[in-house]
Amino acid sequence: MKYTTGVIICLMLLPSFARGQDWVVPDDRKGRLSTFPFTDDTRKEGEKLYQVNCHSCHGDPGRNNFIALQPPPGDPATEKIQRNSDGEIFHKVSAGRGQMPSFRSVLTTDEIWKVVSFIRSFNRSYVQKVMQVITSSAYPGAIISMKLAYDEATKQVLVIASATSETGTVPVTGAGVRLLAARYFGKMAVDEEKTTDVNGVATFSVPEGLRGDTAGNIGFSAMFTDEATFGSVSKDTVLMAGMPVIPVSLTANRAMWNTVRKAPVWIILAYGLGVLAVWGFIVLVMFKLRDIFTVGTALSENISASHGQTEPTKN
Amino acid sequence: MDEIRFNTPHEKGKIDSLASDILKSVRINAGFLLWMTFLFTLLAACLFAYIIQLRKGLGVTGLRDFTSWGMYIANFVFFVATSLCGMLISSVLGLIGYNWVKPISRIAEIIAIAFAAVAGLVIISDMGRPDRLPYVFLFGRVQSPILWDVTVVTTYFVLSMLLWFFPMIPDLAIAKDRLEGRPKFLIRAYELLSFRWMHHEVQYRILGQAVRILLILIIPTAFAIHTVTSWLFAVTPRTGWDSTIFGPYFISGAFVSGAAAVIIAMYFFRVNYKLEKYLNARVFERMGRVMILVAIVYLYFNLNEFLVPAYKLKTGDAIHLRELFTGHYAMLFWGIQLIGLVIPILLLLFRQMRKPLPMMIISLFVLCASWFKRYIIVVPPQAHPNLPVQNVPVEWMVYSPTLIETAVTVASIVLVLIIITILSKLFPVIPIWEMAEEKEDAERIIQ
Repeated sequence: MKYTTGVIICLMLLPSFARGQDWVVPDDRKGRLSTFPFTDDTRKEGEKLYQVNCHSCHGDPGRNNFIALQPPPGDPATEKIQRNSDGEIFHKVSAGRGQMPSFRSVLTTDEIWKVVSFIRSFNRSYVQKVMQVITSSAYPGAIISMKLAYDEATKQVLVIASATSETGTVPVTGAGVRLLAARYFGKMAVDEEKTTDVNGVATFSVPEGLRGDTAGNIGFSAMFTDEATFGSVSKDTVLMAGMPVIPVSLTANRAMWNTVRKAPVWIILAYGLGVLAVWGFIVLVMFKLRDIFTVGTALSENISASHGQTEPTKN
Repeated sequence: MDEIRFNTPHEKGKIDSLASDILKSVRINAGFLLWMTFLFTLLAACLFAYIIQLRKGLGVTGLRDFTSWGMYIANFVFFVATSLCGMLISSVLGLIGYNWVKPISRIAEIIAIAFAAVAGLVIISDMGRPDRLPYVFLFGRVQSPILWDVTVVTTYFVLSMLLWFFPMIPDLAIAKDRLEGRPKFLIRAYELLSFRWMHHEVQYRILGQAVRILLILIIPTAFAIHTVTSWLFAVTPRTGWDSTIFGPYFISGAFVSGAAAVIIAMYFFRVNYKLEKYLNARVFERMGRVMILVAIVYLYFNLNEFLVPAYKLKTGDAIHLRELFTGHYAMLFWGIQLIGLVIPILLLLFRQMRKPLPMMIISLFVLCASWFKRYIIVVPPQAHPNLPVQNVPVEWMVYSPTLIETAVTVASIVLVLIIITILSKLFPVIPIWEMAEEKEDAERIIQ
């Protein structure tokens, strides 16, 4: 009872507590913009990501079918969410708060922007502002880009960062870079954080036996760790750097969890033979009933014949 | 004719005296009709609750996402447990050669039949869509303990029916000519069901073979029925159910509730059917000893089931056991252990307590405690899901059975009483021919 009362009080206090604090996004994050324009393609990709990562709590945008949590997750199509700036939405998805998890290590920067692209597709009055040039305090006025390559001989992924400005292209040096590999549930860090060398190259060792798809392909994402200095640049590239894995369906072979047609043989035999044996004996016993009846019939006929009576003698 | 048993005037006299005692209760009298009217009225009222459940769904019960097995499944486990008395009395004790079980073996079988038959119905009451019951057979997975359970419950019911019926065939033949004043349908049924029994040695030999097969067959089946019931729980990794001794723990518990049910039934038949001569103090005294034995074995399994995890206190076990020992279920848990097990064992050690009335009262407590014990086994482990879940409605976390659920459960108990009443009122509850033979043996020994 004590426990129940405690739970009720907590549940009652939780919404008022949550409502009391607005989700304030730091000023320097509010104005952040996507590095690419939102198109039909980005919206479609964003929708896929939304379905996997956001739908379970936020429901279908525009249908107000988010789950009943305190504070409520809200429908992304509503004015309450749409009045956030792109940077605010990006920050909230990226950082998370309370029950809203952080997607920083689940989605790449580009992927979060694609989700924003999808969310914005429910706002007819929305007009996108695209960041034309990725600002970087280290390379002012330059566009910073990354390239990923795989070196089969050394089993290393190379991340090559360069800054292109009007005067030409120079390597980005001394920048901290993280490399993530796509896995079933989110992304996994590959190797440690590396710093780009004088050629703008950071090298990451790919662990032996890192599972890829049937061809050995793995989706890698590279990003700078210090976004303030080098800008929020990230790069997603599929490289043939993994071990090819031909997945075997968990329901391909006979197993306890499979359908009855693919049940383990021993259990089919044990169950089948057990039932057959017991019911075999039951049928045998039922035949004994017939035997009793036959003997009785023969006896009563005998008695009737010898006594000239129709009814069998009573005890 | 040597091959015919009970053929001498002396033997016939004995049969006559036994039959007049035992068949006295076989009649449809005012008391029976009144009792049945009461039972059927109660059943109708309770079935109304079931109709509400059927129309509105399981939402009318206290069952929610956390506790999806509640009073119904606890009741089912109790029914299966109690039905095991048939096997304990007739087979285990009978095959060992204890003759004192003869007068109570049919009572034990009647209880076994009633509880096993209704156990299957109890399961259906737990289904939100009972119309999908055939799916168990159409799409049943041989790997699922639920399919095993349906199979063994059905098999056990059939075996219990046969074990009740077969040894009764000679009695039906004896009784069919001694049913003056009884309804015609009953006399006709006796004639049909006696399968032209002539008390011939050949018939006795066939009967003996059939009964021996059944007695042996019912032992593994009965062990299977309750072991499989325990596996419904024990094959899950849920704390409180994840136990390797659940099979024997359930079986030993079943013997306790089964023995208690038999003792209560014995007392009522002794008093109401005036069968003091057969269900005498000696039989009660023996049953008292059986009760002590099975209760001690069960206490031993309880010790293993709770002391071992309580010593290790693994995270999940600690939460579960705290709830049982000192938490929400403490009163119920300790009450069951004391009133249903420890105190009965201590009391039954005294000869005075092994007399019919005290035994019946003790058994009532034991039987009630057995019911609540199943509740303790089924419900509390579900209150703590393995995966952390947030912001769950309180009604999900705390299970409390609703009135409708309780009414449907009462319906199942009423149904058991109806079956027991019909079987014991329309057919002799004491085996006449076996008692005659026992008397014969006793006389031979005295001479």
